[in-house]
Parts: sequence; C-alpha cells; structure tokens
Amino acid sequence: MSVNVWAVIRREYLQRVRSKWFVISTLGSPLLILLLMVVPAYFLVRGGQAEQKIAIVDGSNVLYERIAPYLVNEGLEVEEERWYPDVVTSLRKEATEGDLWGFIVLDELTLDTGEAIVYVTTRPSPIRQLTLQSAITRAVMEYQLERRGVDAEALLSGGDLSLELLSEEQTSTEEPQFWVAYLGAFFLYMVILFYADSVMRATLEEKTSRIVEVIISSMEPWHLMLGKILGVGAVGLTQLLVWIVSGFLIVVGGMPLLVSLSPGLMPVETILSALPGIGMVTLFVCLFIFGFFMYSGLHAAVGAMCNTDQEAQQVRLPMVMLLVIPIAMVSVVIMQPMTAMSTWLSLFPLFSPFLIWARVVSGGIPAWQIGLSFLLMLFTVLAIAWIAGRIYKVGILMAGKRPTLPELWRWVKEA
Amino acid sequence: MIDTRYAIRLSGVTKRFGNHAAVSELNFDVPRGAICGLIGPNGSGKTTCIRMIMGILHPDAGSVSLLGATPDDVRRKRVGYLPEERGVYRKMTCTEFLTFLAEIRGVSRTEGWKRSNDWLERLGLGEWADRRIEALSKGMQQKVQFIGTVIHEPELLILDEPFSGLDPLNQDVLEEIIRDFHSKGTTILLSTHLMDQAERLCERVCLISNARKVLDADLKELKAKERTGVVVVRFEGSNQWLEGPEIDYIHESNGELHLILKDGADHQSILKRGLEYGAKIYRFDLVEPRLHEIFVRHAGTGSVGDAGMPKNVTLELQ
Repeated sequence: MSVNVWAVIRREYLQRVRSKWFVISTLGSPLLILLLMVVPAYFLVRGGQAEQKIAIVDGSNVLYERIAPYLVNEGLEVEEERWYPDVVTSLRKEATEGDLWGFIVLDELTLDTGEAIVYVTTRPSPIRQLTLQSAITRAVMEYQLERRGVDAEALLSGGDLSLELLSEEQTSTEEPQFWVAYLGAFFLYMVILFYADSVMRATLEEKTSRIVEVIISSMEPWHLMLGKILGVGAVGLTQLLVWIVSGFLIVVGGMPLLVSLSPGLMPVETILSALPGIGMVTLFVCLFIFGFFMYSGLHAAVGAMCNTDQEAQQVRLPMVMLLVIPIAMVSVVIMQPMTAMSTWLSLFPLFSPFLIWARVVSGGIPAWQIGLSFLLMLFTVLAIAWIAGRIYKVGILMAGKRPTLPELWRWVKEA
Repeated sequence: MIDTRYAIRLSGVTKRFGNHAAVSELNFDVPRGAICGLIGPNGSGKTTCIRMIMGILHPDAGSVSLLGATPDDVRRKRVGYLPEERGVYRKMTCTEFLTFLAEIRGVSRTEGWKRSNDWLERLGLGEWADRRIEALSKGMQQKVQFIGTVIHEPELLILDEPFSGLDPLNQDVLEEIIRDFHSKGTTILLSTHLMDQAERLCERVCLISNARKVLDADLKELKAKERTGVVVVRFEGSNQWLEGPEIDYIHESNGELHLILKDGADHQSILKRGLEYGAKIYRFDLVEPRLHEIFVRHAGTGSVGDAGMPKNVTLELQ
C-alpha cells in the first residue's frame, strides 16, 4: 500500500483515538458497567454485615435448621435461642438495649398453620417481611411434605423437565443465549452504523472545509477514501477490543461475586456457559469488519455527494430505513434460525452482519452458509468500493446541487 | 519524449461543464524557471485551468503536460499547489498538519516535522507550532496553508489567488518568499486578478477572458510592443480636446488621466488639439502601458466586470 494511504490512516486513527470523546466512551462504558455491577454488590455486602441480627426461638424444634440458612442467604445474621419461660422478656430487653434487631418465636402451631410472631425494633421493608414469611412457610411445607415421604426439596424448587429432541434440528434457544444473540446483533448494528456515519461526517467535513483539494492534488481520491475508511475502521476495532477484553475481565472477575451475593438470580454456570467463547468473539469481530466496510463505503459516497450535514442525513435515510428489516427480524431469526426466510434474510449481504450472528448464536446455521455469507459480503464490499470510489472521486470536488440518480450513474460510468 | 524546456504545456485544452465551456481551446506554456501570471476576471476559467494542470479535472479535449508528462501522482508530488479555496484540518496542530502534508508527498515524517518547525519559525508562527489550527487567526491560517504548499520543496509552484485575504504586510511577506523561490530556480505559476501584483512579480502573463486566451506573452516584450498605447496627462481647463478618434478610453489614476490610445493612433494630434483648445498642459507623457491597461484593452470592454478593473471612467474635471 502506498505511503499516502498509510499517512491518511495514521492521521485518521491518531486524531480520533486521542480525542476526549474516544477515551471517555471506550474506557467509560466498561467502567459504567463495572460500576453498575459493583455498587449494588458492595451495598449488599455492606448491608448484610452491618444490619440486622435476628434470633429464632424455636418451640417446634424442627424448623430452625430449615429457616436459618435461608435467612443467612438473604443477608441476615441468625442465632438460635432455646425456649424457656421468660425468653420473650429477656430477648425483648436484649433487642431494645443491645444490637439484636428482633426475634422470631415459633411454636407447635407454626407447624400447622405457618403462623409465627416476629418481634422487631424497627419496621422491616416489605421485601424483608416477605422474605421472613416465605422462609417460615417454606420450612413448614418442607417439614410437612417430608413427614409424608415426599422429596420436598425437588418439588419446591419447581421440579425438572427434561427435554428430548426427536429431530436433529435444534430450534430451541435458551434464554441467556437469546440475549447474547439479540444484544450482539443490536450492538453490531450500533457500532457499524456509528463508525460508518463517522466516515460520512469526516468526508463531508473535508469537502466543506475545502482541504480535500489540497489532499487529492497529492494522491488519488480513491486512496484518500480507502485510508479514511481503514483509519476509522481501526479506531472501531480498537474500541471493540478494549470492550471485549474489559468485558471478559468483568465477567470472569465480577460475575461470580455478583451471583454469590444474590443467589435468587441464576446459577453462575448458566450465565458463563451462555457467554461467547473465543470463536464467537472472532466471528463478531469479523462481522464488524465486513459490515463496516460495506456501510462505510456507502456512507463515504453519500458524504462526497452532499454539501451539508442535513442533506447527507436525507440521502442516508433510505439506507437506514432498509436496516429496519434485519433489526425487526432479529428475534424471529433467533427463534427460528433454520426457516427459509431466516436463511435468505441472513444471506443478503447488507443484513448478514446482524443476522448471521443471530443464527450462529442460536445454533441454527450450517457451516457452509457462514462461509457463503462471508463470500457474498466480500463481493459486496468490492462492488461498493468500486462504485463508491467513483462517486467519491467526482463528488468530492462538486459544489452546489447534489446529483440526481441519473447524474450519479453518469459519475460512476465516466469517472 | 520528455520536453525539459517547459514545466507546463497546455495544447488545445477544452473543458465543458454541461453546456458551459469553462475553458476553450487553450494553448499555454510555462517555461521552466519562469514566474508566470495567469490573469483574468473572476469566472474566466483560471481555476478550471489550474485544476486541469493538477490532474484534478480532465480536459474534454486537448492535452496537458505537467513536468514533461500527463499529470500523475509522481509528478504532482513535485508540485506545490495552493488552491483558491483552501482548507485546513482544524483539529490538528500546525506541525501535525504540515507534517501530514509533507508525508503524503513523500517526505519522511522526521524531515517533515523539522521543516514544519523551521517554516513556522520563519513566518513568525513559532510559538503556535503546537496549537490547534482552529486557534489561529485567518491570516495565520493562510500562512500555514502556504507553508503546506512548499513544505516538500516542490520544483513547480502553482498558486491560485495566493494574495487574496492577506493584509498588505503579509502580501509583501508572501511576495518576498515567492521571489525567493524564483531566484532558486523554482517555476511559478500564479493566478490573480490583482494587476499590480502580477506586474511586479511576473515575467510572463497569460490573459484569459471568457474561457479563451486573449494574450500570452513576455511582459517586457509586451510592454515594448504596446509602448505607443498610453499617454499620461495632467492639465487645467476644458477637457473637450480629449474627445477624439485616437482615444480608445480614459481612466484616472492619482489625479492624472491615462489615455489609452487606439492601435496606430498618433499621440501628436491629441497634443496639437489640446494646444488649440487652450488647455494648460503640465504633463503629456507617453508611457509604458501598465498591465492593467493592457488587460482592460485585451479583455475587451464587455467582459470585464471586476471592481478592480474599471472598463471606463467618465471624465469630470473642474
């Protein structure tokens, strides 16, 4: 590649990477996510330590060991108190004078009806109240079911449905995977369009500031366009890689912590197993690169043929409208990745970056179709580059009215 | 075969935009080492002509030769081109911007960096070297743009209206630098509609009007040839004696009248008529025509509409 193109790439890359905006958005986003995960976790931990020691006076003799672990899990400190005649009076004294938040009194009646008395120094939140109540009723149900010889634990945790697929076609997508597919496709859409739009703006700026005439008097317009696209693309890749690496660190380091703090959510293994592996990350990056090349070429041409930002946004509108289709269809494609419609939509090169991702994550695509889609995208990239390069070459020096479609066609033919 | 005598050769060049001919059958040479002016009113085709020389536009007919061949990347890198409408990358610092321009024309980064700083220092912008260009005043930005034109030490300078927008002080600075390049052997083509500047600087002029070349000659020869053409007069009394068939038109300058004569007209007959009318004549001086006058004469009365180039002056004396 010529020295010129490298100079343009370097300029474009350094100018952008050194901008405040880039630093903030690149480092800020993972930090924000980290913050969103760590802050609640921190308060959960802190809250659990500082707060609420509760005593349980178990007159039934069977409920304490069932209730205690549950409450501990919910961040309460639990201690057992033997039953004796004056226990309520002495605990009441301890609670008002000492650090005891309250105490629960369970008796034989609790075993039948789930009724219990809770003495507290301060009113508990509705959620905490519900926690206490469900801890007790759950313990009672467990006890009663076990007395009748039923596997209470299995039953109470919702049973288990084992799924036997009779055909090879795998059409079910588990929930965490659905989100990886959906958010991944959406994220690709956002970054590709954002960076393609940057190329358009940069082109427009060069054109309106007239610097472009100086530049292309020293190099082919086509080289300038190429350098610009590669430079901006490199910025996008840098940002993606920073996000992927920091995302990996956050998940590996932070997720188990978060899950351990709120066990009600989902088991760690379920979440981790749904996360994309190295192969998926590579696919994601490749889809970004191909998608970016297609869309940035189109955007560069739009930037070159327009004179103002508003004009460019207008010309760009049909392209953005077209993109409503894949975005609207993402969830359908994820749920039914093997249907003819999903296949054709995902093989349409301009939609491939988003829909191929959706199909791969949901497991519904033969390998040859992935290969085919990349081949089609490659041809599209080359075709767009050829056409856009010609439009760019003519448009970049044009002032005044933006071209009509027949005029554009003439540019492409004559350039 | 590469012709080494000429830096630029245009032969039979025509360029149309739609139905409008911007340049029509233009033949025009710039010898190596010359300093040549491309003059003409606004909209006469100067910029289109320059863009074709730079290979930014392609002629519909005719051929352009730049440094001995059709304009290509290799040759264009040996040219310093300052377009009429010039921009900058506002967010870059002066040195970054200039180094970038040096780099895309094949100068190494370190060398480009060094030259940028030297030039900024030379033009009094040393302390602005690391500031973003958007912080500079318009005049300072123009200096930076000029440095960008010469940073790669080109053998040919093509400057489209280099003086526009500069204050008189900086115009002088620029003129000095252009002379400096000329004395070092650089070929220079500059377009301007400022006749005084062209007259002071150029050895050769090419006059374009309405897309066509009207004149293309060595300035000294041109002036010698047109020597009979202009009479400067200062007088008191009626101006009736100035209405005669010899005079093409008249314009005023510094309280004196410049009589531009028709071809072959006899200035003696005007003087004789003046004496007959009894005018008190203090000065009657046959002078070398100024470029301005040559320009106005050749551009023709109909095509010149610029404020700087009056086509006629009505006489109002006493």
